[in-house]
Amino acid sequence: MATASLRLTVGRPRRGPIGTIAETIKSVVHRRRLLLYLTIAKVRQDGGNSLLGNLWLILDPAIQLAIYYFLVGMVLDRPQPAFALFLFSAILPWRWLSMALGGAANSVRVKDKVMRQIAFPHIVLPIASLSASSVSFLFGLLPLCCLYLIYPERFTPWVFSFPLIGVVQLLWMLPLAILFSALSVFFRDISNILTHALRVTFYLSPALFSYDRILEILEERPPARLLLDLNPMAWILTAYRDIFYEGRSADWGALLGVALASIPFTLVSIYLFRRMAPSFPKVL
Amino acid sequence: MNAPHPISLKGAGVRYNMRLKRKRSVRKSVTKAARLDAQGYFWALRDITLEIQEGETVAVIGANGAGKSTLLLMLAGILEPDEGSVAVYGSISTLLHIGAGFDDELNAEENILLVGAFLGIPASIMKKRVPEILEFADIGDFASAEVRTYSSGMRARLGFSVATAVSPDVLLVDEVLSTGDASFRDKARARILDLMKKARAVVYVTHDLDSAASFCTRAIELEGGKIVADGPAKSVIAAYQAKMERKAKGSS
Repeated sequence: MATASLRLTVGRPRRGPIGTIAETIKSVVHRRRLLLYLTIAKVRQDGGNSLLGNLWLILDPAIQLAIYYFLVGMVLDRPQPAFALFLFSAILPWRWLSMALGGAANSVRVKDKVMRQIAFPHIVLPIASLSASSVSFLFGLLPLCCLYLIYPERFTPWVFSFPLIGVVQLLWMLPLAILFSALSVFFRDISNILTHALRVTFYLSPALFSYDRILEILEERPPARLLLDLNPMAWILTAYRDIFYEGRSADWGALLGVALASIPFTLVSIYLFRRMAPSFPKVL
Repeated sequence: MNAPHPISLKGAGVRYNMRLKRKRSVRKSVTKAARLDAQGYFWALRDITLEIQEGETVAVIGANGAGKSTLLLMLAGILEPDEGSVAVYGSISTLLHIGAGFDDELNAEENILLVGAFLGIPASIMKKRVPEILEFADIGDFASAEVRTYSSGMRARLGFSVATAVSPDVLLVDEVLSTGDASFRDKARARILDLMKKARAVVYVTHDLDSAASFCTRAIELEGGKIVADGPAKSVIAAYQAKMERKAKGSS
């Protein structure tokens, strides 16, 4: 009889941590189409309903650069040479981070209706939000190209190694995106807190100043120095600055270490998300 | 070897943690029902043991808040049981609230593929169904427009067409027959009946007792999250109607 071939669709027994993580990863791979469609929808949604549409993907980072260029340039009396490029090499990845985490924090919450009507692996929601923010990041590379027209002497082949740094950044944003998306279902305040936390970390990382300048400031404050060393974003921003601004190779060894350190975080975040997921349709 | 029943539940229960639930009105309405346990959990369903066999069409009846929808959500795998176990074999289609998963910024075809992806239907199958779904939804030239420009009727028709595009092994229906205008409703009803015939098991939540009695083979009455009656559709529904009448007389 055909019955025997039917598989169990609801009511699979609960597994241990490793089984849960493996099953969740498998379910995401299985739903890669869903990821793609959700990403397209999110990118369009960000541009939709505005006069200039997806042009904002390019305008946003450019305007942000202009604001920081004039404000910080005025406050600091000794701006770096090629200051716009110096700034933009940090603003670009930073915007990616804040968009990725801000978007992810809301990604599960806004899909409450679907979650109450269709059974699907909820973890695709923060991942799709993350990949949508990556699309915006790539669009931000266009203003960067314009900057190289202004500072052609800063352009080196090292620029093209940016995808490697991007992957490391992605690896760090993934566990954060997954965790924040789940937690903000229970605590709506997460996205508010996140905005401020991101701003503080922005100033704590070598975004507006060079790493050396921050080291100077932190010299007498060892605990703060430790904080900077533990901030993976500090390593990542420095690497971007190396290739985009300094025109030299990034410290690939350090980056590899930063990438490897993200793996346990990712696995733990997947497990925690999966354990919280059954409560989502009930709470929302 | 005995094939497993399409649906079997053993002592299944679903509880809500009322401290996490934000909607105050809901909280108030359920605390009235006094189904909170010592830890402050609200049991929407408790101790449900049920086996649905091949070929059965089961009506689930009962007052508002009896746990009918929660039962469907649990069978669909949307809610996991907090105690006991649920097992459903075969592909599942849920006709709950129509239009779930639509994204306003996408057009009809993209939304069909999106919902198909949510449901886990392979893209190759879904792509083939697109013309048929658009035809059934009867949205004409709007097919290439974003869904946000649709009227609520068009949205509902498209939602219904997508949700019923693939014939499932287990069909879960929650009162959706009132979609669209009269002509569409007839078409929709015919399609649901067709899916019901093809499905190996159907669970149908409804307040429309007459239609339930006419095409269901079995009925289950829920009250306060528990099964209070289970048997052939006609007799369970007749008993329920008699009970309702007595209640109505008693309160007037």
